[in-house]
Amino acid sequence: MDPVTMEECFDGSDAEKEDDDEEEATTHLRDRFRLSTINIAETEAKNNTMEISPSVIVCISDLAFKYAEQLADDLELFAHHANRKTVNMNDVILCAHRNRHLADRLKSISYDLKAKEPHSEKKRKKSSNKEDKALPSVVHIDSC
Amino acid sequence: MDSNFDQELIDAIFKSVWSKKAIEREKNEDAETSKGEERAGTSKKNRPTSANSNAVRLSCELLRLFVTEAVQRAATIAEAEGGNKIEATHLERILPQLLLDF
Repeated sequence: MDPVTMEECFDGSDAEKEDDDEEEATTHLRDRFRLSTINIAETEAKNNTMEISPSVIVCISDLAFKYAEQLADDLELFAHHANRKTVNMNDVILCAHRNRHLADRLKSISYDLKAKEPHSEKKRKKSSNKEDKALPSVVHIDSC
Repeated sequence: MDSNFDQELIDAIFKSVWSKKAIEREKNEDAETSKGEERAGTSKKNRPTSANSNAVRLSCELLRLFVTEAVQRAATIAEAEGGNKIEATHLERILPQLLLDF
């Protein structure tokens, strides 16, 4: 326990408990995120007729979680820069602007989502799956 | 069928980051302006950011692409080495370029 915080505020134990709760909530989110990642990674490995070791999935999951937190930071900054309190699709596309293939892919998905806006919820889900199959599932980026 | 991240989960992760930052902002502002009158106005200004549903859906897609890219690139390396299981060394090989691309 930090002695300085104890001196500064009387409810030091309360503040610490809040921190614990926050940490617990993050851990819970991380675990749920990991479960989703396991699903996605194993499906993808199966598509490539490959096995994937669990430690690799855990590693990828932690990377993706960090990326998600970074994404949240960026999205907030972009939205605030535009004097908005709500993040919209353009902010997400802006996050990927350095990678043209990725940005194009996100743009095409965003158009589809926009087009489906006025329709019912069920319809939107159904056709978004169709759209996924029509496009190549992975963006290939030339690396040198 | 393609599996994807739960929208509600991604939304929760974003919200936890944003509310943490909103609390921090409020603390900073409180330290600057110690007058009680001005504090009433800031609570509204410091409301955490939110996201519309399409933005969350697009973020799910972006994160899914991150995971599938990682697996696919590692699979390419594993295949080149003649194995049929993706190991940590394969991930290590593709990691630098992957992080540069996202």
